[in-house]
Amino acid sequence: MTSELVEKLKSGLKGNITVISDDGVNDVVVLSDKKLIKSAAELIKGTHDILFMLTIVDRNPNFELNYLFSNYRNKNIIILRVNITQDDYKIDTVSKVFPSADWEEREAYDLFGIEFKGHPDLRRILLPEDWPGHPLRKDFEVTDDVRNWTGLDLKF
Amino acid sequence: MENRKGVILNIGPVHPATHGVLRLIADLEGDTIENIKVDIGFLHRGKEKLAEMRYFSNYYPIVDKLDYVSALQMEILFGSVVEKAAGITLPPRAVYIRMIMAEIQRIMSHLVFIGSFGMDVGNYTGFIWAFREREELMTIVESVSGGRLAPMYICNGGTFYDLPENFNQALTPVLDDIEKKINKDYRALFNDNNIFVMRTKGVGVINKSTVIENGITGPNMRAAGIKRDLRRDEPYLAYESMDFEIPTEESGDSYSRFIIRIKEIIESIKIIRQALKNIPTGPYKTSVPWLLKIPEKQTFVRQEVSKGEMAMYMVTNGGLTPYRLKIRSPTFFSLKMLEKILKGSKIADIVAVVASLDPVMGEVDR
Repeated sequence: MTSELVEKLKSGLKGNITVISDDGVNDVVVLSDKKLIKSAAELIKGTHDILFMLTIVDRNPNFELNYLFSNYRNKNIIILRVNITQDDYKIDTVSKVFPSADWEEREAYDLFGIEFKGHPDLRRILLPEDWPGHPLRKDFEVTDDVRNWTGLDLKF
Repeated sequence: MENRKGVILNIGPVHPATHGVLRLIADLEGDTIENIKVDIGFLHRGKEKLAEMRYFSNYYPIVDKLDYVSALQMEILFGSVVEKAAGITLPPRAVYIRMIMAEIQRIMSHLVFIGSFGMDVGNYTGFIWAFREREELMTIVESVSGGRLAPMYICNGGTFYDLPENFNQALTPVLDDIEKKINKDYRALFNDNNIFVMRTKGVGVINKSTVIENGITGPNMRAAGIKRDLRRDEPYLAYESMDFEIPTEESGDSYSRFIIRIKEIIESIKIIRQALKNIPTGPYKTSVPWLLKIPEKQTFVRQEVSKGEMAMYMVTNGGLTPYRLKIRSPTFFSLKMLEKILKGSKIADIVAVVASLDPVMGEVDR
């Protein structure tokens, strides 16, 4: 089942993928270019229903995005891995294809500062709107801005 | 919003009916909700960042406070991730102990739901009764682990202690008691109670396509008629050899979300009884060094906790701590739905719908 999907991705994306199957998790498909994410998500949409989780790993200075898709009919999952480099931390949103990605992308934007282009409502979700910095980045430091943050400037 | 005479109503974040610190901003037109926004994050404690600073064996007290009404299930989930990553196999007795504790915790969590749901729709007796039953199980958990709300019972490679000697004799009458009360007392208080049924039936309907679109899992999904349960579909621990049903309802309203939980309590009791009968003897843990080093890999584990499908994705790099730990919270996905399902309903229904989703903000905000 999953291997069919991998074949579909291979032909649909003209071979711009590498497949790692032995990674502790199920099939991991690595995309060579972040521009492919939207078309890859559209290809996955047929067999998988939801974006189960979006895990971002800070490989300083790059970021590794693991999109984990799941479905309601069986236990198959597929992981799509994309690397984004330091020239700009931007990637296309998949929330148009998978509505379940909406808040996951907002969380990623909040904690890592990755911008999802085309997201309908990209605001911070867990932290206050005026929080200085993105705390899950490895180079986040507790500066004076953080120490002296009071939250009093927030509009309520 | 030009000539509208509507009112913006702010509910929360410390309103008692919002189950912790959930904030809702409702745009009202008379008594009807035109638009509603959900604001979360008031209980954000940076647990994913804390994981990067702690040894694998020192993170258990932190996961306890993720979903603080089902702390043991959080511990079991984190334990499973570490054990899968480090390649530790559990002794069979530890597997059964964990399963029994997970089901006890599921009953306790669902009882909290029944209690707080009852209170939110004006049934205060339900609250007192549910917490009375929960207290009996709480005493059992205390006798096993020493803790009540945050037990700290699971450790890498098994559990910290064996079950106490008279565990079976103590647990059996409690289960019988709860089963009897669920079937008789609770039926009179909720199912046959016209006021309760009128407050909840047909309110906050989440249909099948909305569930699939938005990634809702757990009892909220089963109330919409999707038969799926990771305990059956992707068995972990010893659920494979257990005989139990997956209850489903068709209508997807607040009432069916309540009924699902009542039925799940009965199924959990069934599982515990079978497990107590078949529990093997032997060691309750394998010895695992306190400081673990896990080679570079990525580990994904998901389990059916009382709120739905919870998952952890751990990235390790050969060090003593996780390099990155991502926690997937099931209620995070359900709460997003509130904006959609509350639109057009009455203001008094907000409380009933929010309570029927069973949000525990500790797990949503992490």
